[in-house]
Amino acid sequence: MDRRQFIKISAFTGSSATLASCGNPEYHLIRFVPEDRIVPGTAVWRPSICPLCPAGCGVIARVMDGEVEVLRNGQLGLTRMGLAKKLEGNPDHPINQGKLCTRGQAAAEITYHPDRVGHPLKRAGTRGDGKFEEISWEQALGELVAKLDALAAANDQNKLAILLRPERGLRGELIRQFATRFGAPVPLTYEFFDDDVLRRANALSFGNHQLPTFDLAESRYLLSFGADFLGTWNSPVAQNIGYGEMRQGRPGSRGKFVQVEYRMSQTGANADEWVPVKPGMEGVLALGIAQVIMKSGSRRAGDAGPAGMLIDGWAGGLAEYTAQEVSKRTGVPAARLERLAKEFSEQKPAVAMIAGAAVAQTNGLFNALAVNALNALMGSVGTPGGVFFMQGGAQEDIAGGPRSANATARSLNDRQPLQEELRDAQVLLIDGANPVYAAPRAWKVRETLTQLPYIVSFGNFIDETSALVDLILPDHSFLESWVQSMPESGAKTAIVSMAAPVMQPLHETRATGDVILDVARRLRKPLELPWKTFEEMVKAGPSPAAAKRVPDRAKPQEKAARRPLPGGEARKFAEPQFNGDANEYGFHFLPYPSQALLDGSLAHLPLLQELPDPMSSAVWSSWAEINMQTAERLGIRQGDWLEITSSQGTIRVPAFPSPGIAPDVVAMPTGQGHENFTRYATGRGANPISILAPVVESETGALAWAATRVKITRVADADGTLVLFAGSLRDYPPEHPHR
Amino acid sequence: MDLATERKINHDLLRPLRQTSVWFFLLVALLGSIILTGAGAWLYQLSNGLVVAGIRWPIFWAFYITNFVFWIGISHAGTLISAILRLVNATWRRPVTRCAEVITVFALMIGAMFPIIHLGRPWLFFWLIPYPSERQIWPNMRSPLAWDFFAISTYLTGSTLFLLLPIIPDFALMRDQMTGWRKKIYGVLALGWQGTTKQWHRLEAAMQIMAIAIVPVAVSVHTIVSFDFSMSPVPMWHSTVFGPYFVAGAIFSGIAGLILAMAVLRKILHLEEYLHPLHFQNLGKLLLLMSLLWGYFTFVERLTTWYGNNSAEMAVFWETQTGAYAPLFWTMVFCNFIIPFPLLAIRKLRTITGTVIASSTIVVGMWIERFLIVVPSLARKNLPYTWASYRPQPVEILITIATFAAMTLLYTLFAKAVPIISIWELKVGMHAPPLLTPEEQEQQRELWRTRP
Amino acid sequence: MTHRWGMAVDLDRCTGCEACVTACRTENNIRIAGPEQSARGRAIAWIRVERYYEGDFPDVRVKFRPVMCQQCDAAPCEPVCPTYASHHTDEGLNAQVYNRCIGTRYCANACPYNVRFFNFGNPVWDRPLELSLNPDVSVREVGVVEKCTFCVQRINAGKEQAKAENRELKDGEIKPACVQSCPTSALVFGDLNDPESEVSRLSRSSRGTKLLEDLGTLPKVTYLQRQS
Repeated sequence: MDRRQFIKISAFTGSSATLASCGNPEYHLIRFVPEDRIVPGTAVWRPSICPLCPAGCGVIARVMDGEVEVLRNGQLGLTRMGLAKKLEGNPDHPINQGKLCTRGQAAAEITYHPDRVGHPLKRAGTRGDGKFEEISWEQALGELVAKLDALAAANDQNKLAILLRPERGLRGELIRQFATRFGAPVPLTYEFFDDDVLRRANALSFGNHQLPTFDLAESRYLLSFGADFLGTWNSPVAQNIGYGEMRQGRPGSRGKFVQVEYRMSQTGANADEWVPVKPGMEGVLALGIAQVIMKSGSRRAGDAGPAGMLIDGWAGGLAEYTAQEVSKRTGVPAARLERLAKEFSEQKPAVAMIAGAAVAQTNGLFNALAVNALNALMGSVGTPGGVFFMQGGAQEDIAGGPRSANATARSLNDRQPLQEELRDAQVLLIDGANPVYAAPRAWKVRETLTQLPYIVSFGNFIDETSALVDLILPDHSFLESWVQSMPESGAKTAIVSMAAPVMQPLHETRATGDVILDVARRLRKPLELPWKTFEEMVKAGPSPAAAKRVPDRAKPQEKAARRPLPGGEARKFAEPQFNGDANEYGFHFLPYPSQALLDGSLAHLPLLQELPDPMSSAVWSSWAEINMQTAERLGIRQGDWLEITSSQGTIRVPAFPSPGIAPDVVAMPTGQGHENFTRYATGRGANPISILAPVVESETGALAWAATRVKITRVADADGTLVLFAGSLRDYPPEHPHR
Repeated sequence: MDLATERKINHDLLRPLRQTSVWFFLLVALLGSIILTGAGAWLYQLSNGLVVAGIRWPIFWAFYITNFVFWIGISHAGTLISAILRLVNATWRRPVTRCAEVITVFALMIGAMFPIIHLGRPWLFFWLIPYPSERQIWPNMRSPLAWDFFAISTYLTGSTLFLLLPIIPDFALMRDQMTGWRKKIYGVLALGWQGTTKQWHRLEAAMQIMAIAIVPVAVSVHTIVSFDFSMSPVPMWHSTVFGPYFVAGAIFSGIAGLILAMAVLRKILHLEEYLHPLHFQNLGKLLLLMSLLWGYFTFVERLTTWYGNNSAEMAVFWETQTGAYAPLFWTMVFCNFIIPFPLLAIRKLRTITGTVIASSTIVVGMWIERFLIVVPSLARKNLPYTWASYRPQPVEILITIATFAAMTLLYTLFAKAVPIISIWELKVGMHAPPLLTPEEQEQQRELWRTRP
Repeated sequence: MTHRWGMAVDLDRCTGCEACVTACRTENNIRIAGPEQSARGRAIAWIRVERYYEGDFPDVRVKFRPVMCQQCDAAPCEPVCPTYASHHTDEGLNAQVYNRCIGTRYCANACPYNVRFFNFGNPVWDRPLELSLNPDVSVREVGVVEKCTFCVQRINAGKEQAKAENRELKDGEIKPACVQSCPTSALVFGDLNDPESEVSRLSRSSRGTKLLEDLGTLPKVTYLQRQS
């Protein structure tokens, strides 16, 4: 017997002895037959797909056996089963190539979360007081089926509304087909930080309604307008991989990176040059650069092709956008702008990107079109080191696909606000979206939902939205289910990833895909869906319907002919509009996605709550970043309580004076301020989304979440609420320099 | 010396042993309850772990180590001073030695508790002790903490002997004077002392040996305590001046503690006839010397740091000089130098009251000094990202207060059981020819006239 | 030939994304301190990404620097430990023997990098979060000091694997969790005794520096400085 064996045996006998000796309830638990064929102490790696963001990174889970208390057919007992111990990037996955971001690595906590909903729940109290009772699956499905049958009987099939989190995969496809077969409107999607303005811009400029993919590994110059591409935006792992190669992957040729933004993000912190710009003026800056380049003669206006034609004055070389004029509007010195333009045109391949706050203004689409034109001017579209559009990644943008409530593309400028879309619903199914938390108060989502007769959620957790529902049909975690994803960006080739469950379910949950199929069968008039289980659907591969959605990039004209884009004409620059009078509300308010918690959908994971923010090192907290000199002027010190007031309301939050933010900006990470989202997030911090004004991007109608102005008041001294992991902001203080 | 005087001495000095006022019990009850509170705090910490203390990453040492250094420092009052005074044959020492030596023993006992109180797993403290274990693992002799163990245990043994040896004749006296169970106990403690010439010779020889041996031990103890800090590459810890700085500070705080103890004894036990202003004057002079030495070391330490301008050290330097710890730092300078210096340097002010005021501020100042050595350096270590600040928590404060109560209680109980002034030495002193110069005698007479 | 494990950190690649931080936490069963204890300085991070602002608006820059145990050859933490809980292994790692640690925290004070952390209380995982604990790594009880091990469990597993397959270890075969996860490949791990290994090559880079080199701790982690 070697040492390992000895330890194993003694641990086993030890735990059995403990179990046998005390009056633990475990002693009375029955033992189920082991559910997994796993050799004790031996790890196996099983693939899955990270569900946390739409990037669709492939993961592998290290599975080892363990003894678990589980419910099986209503019976509590112990079983031995494989347990996912750790997630790593799947080395064979083309997007993340074995790497995984900080959030993805915490995703296993979803499965083991102590506050996970483990059984179907039925509302017990009045709506909104959050009281639920456990019911059986039979009863739960019976109730939902009865409601749907009632709709069908009254010929009110179109009164079934479905609200999803944007998801690129068969799960969404299944729900969409369910809706179509039932006769309901196509599902809505909602996500706070969505990229619909950018997709629209890409559709206009390049005929691809989708997020771009960047070939950073080959780039020698990267000009980013507000895109947090290393932190939270688009396909961050893929972009990080490319970035590393851009910097040090080619001996002797280090790519330069310039970031344009008005609050230094984690991405901006890596820039060789960080260029602060006035909010909403990113497009002007891009056009200023284009103007310098065209003026120098190195590129001609025509080089930009149709993308340039979307900008008023492009053909004339953007005469209005002289360096001096642009400098005045953007706050970027003319000499610097000219130098940046020179570098950008000389260091080939060079690429520009735009996202985040730069497109979350009332003129966001214009800003995006300007940057697209700049890329087109440099010939950086579809060329090595430039910007690509992944095959098969295009998203539906016209009625018929999943509509986004945030920037629904049913028809431009004719967008129905979310609450309008939902108002007439008799039955609402919610999957993954939490609009009560993540939508401006002015949209009155909570009030609307409270009015609805019947709401069903498939969530794993009770959050602000599912606290309002009548029935919760908890999903398996991603590790317990068949998963499938068709990401829209992150690699040059089309990707469809799918994976089997990594482990047996811990609770009495059911995979939402299976539940949908089950409900479809149980209806009085069963719906014709060709699969018995979600597993079958995944194994069958992308459906013809889904395949049809893959656009043919070779025939953009044909596509344009099929779906004429309204507004292919040139656009004039329009000043960004902000909610709140500049005299009264002296600060721009910038909510930005938290590196750990994103839009707040990950605030329930303790690993991520305790992840020090890259810029502030804060954990378990909310904070408001404010310029250091401004703070000094206002007598605000780190941790002091601020009241941030917009036209929509007031929140209180501790201050974090920082050197990396413009003097007239207050920035706040999203993610905290949950009223009801597990023990780890409830009642922690403040939610910046709650005071946003319902300002929209002028052309697409998407929420312009960076267009609210606020005023701030210092209301109390620091009291330790702001928890920072670390101490000094700076290396040795400059006032005591070392020799 | 006549019999009447001897009787009076016996009567005066044994009176506390014979008479017990209600105040004694009240005092013991008060101190006892403070100590029990402290013990409760420690139990609370034992059951919860150091999570209830204020220490944190990366300030892993704070109040407990401050107390450790402080009490080991206080312990330098007695044995060292008494030994030096014995060696130079300063006759005025006679009423002072015992109350000084007691401080050493008790302060060491209290101080030595702190390395255990501060441990993460105090139940395993014996792993610091070299004993032949079944695992055949010895303590790491390269660790200053192992040195601490040897230094402190040697010092404690030595100073306990140093205290007990000269009590033997007094135990014998009490054996002869007392009745009942006390007689029995003192009889045992007297170890068969008969006062034969041979015994006196042996006692004298033993005292001489101990006095010589204990001086280097005392010096090494606080040097080794300083090594706990100066052996680490921590900004402003890693300093060659720390050894003498710690020893000087220790003697400094020790004398201050002694003066306070003497003043209280004098008042409460009515020992005005034995503890004269001269004793306070002389100790005051010593204290003045130590205050100057302390000021010198502090200045030297600060100056070399500042001149060296090492960035990591400068961070600690400015933090204590002008930053968050500056109020404490300047309080310390006031307490240890600016207040005591004139009180001790100006002869008119070097009265009992004057020295007591100076000593009080010095005890406070030296505690702060220990704190300022331990905490700011850890709060400002080399990588600024890890800088932090420390707030003591109730357990740490309660345990700290309890140690002061423990010191007082132990001292009180000792004074209740043993004459706090060495009776035989006092008597011997009276037989001795005057050692004072005529001038000094004149002065002394002056002073005695001014006695209240 | 014995191994001498070392790491190289390319600060030009590091983006401060903190993938390594979570990778380390999940691999090494690092406790969740919770908000109250985090506020009191009890959060544990075997690897952290230090952030330093330079300059003021608008000319601001930031330096990121991942800091883990530097596995010093002349480690200040080792001699000060009275119980040999902190000691040097044959492969040059600074091992921390939890069983032997009595919690003087002297090592943590002596470490100039502040990479040693103390368990102020017993760790608690809200059930069933404990199911995700890595069985290869012991959970640390109250009163002991812990720190980065270079994922010694992975090193040992890699060596055993190679031995079982009767072959030499390949460079890059063993990856600590942080190195495995790093999206920009800023972290590189390997054998410094193998002059051909990637980590040896990078450690010889002209951009290479050691953290707090002047303290003479002889770290085995090399930082390759940013080029801008």
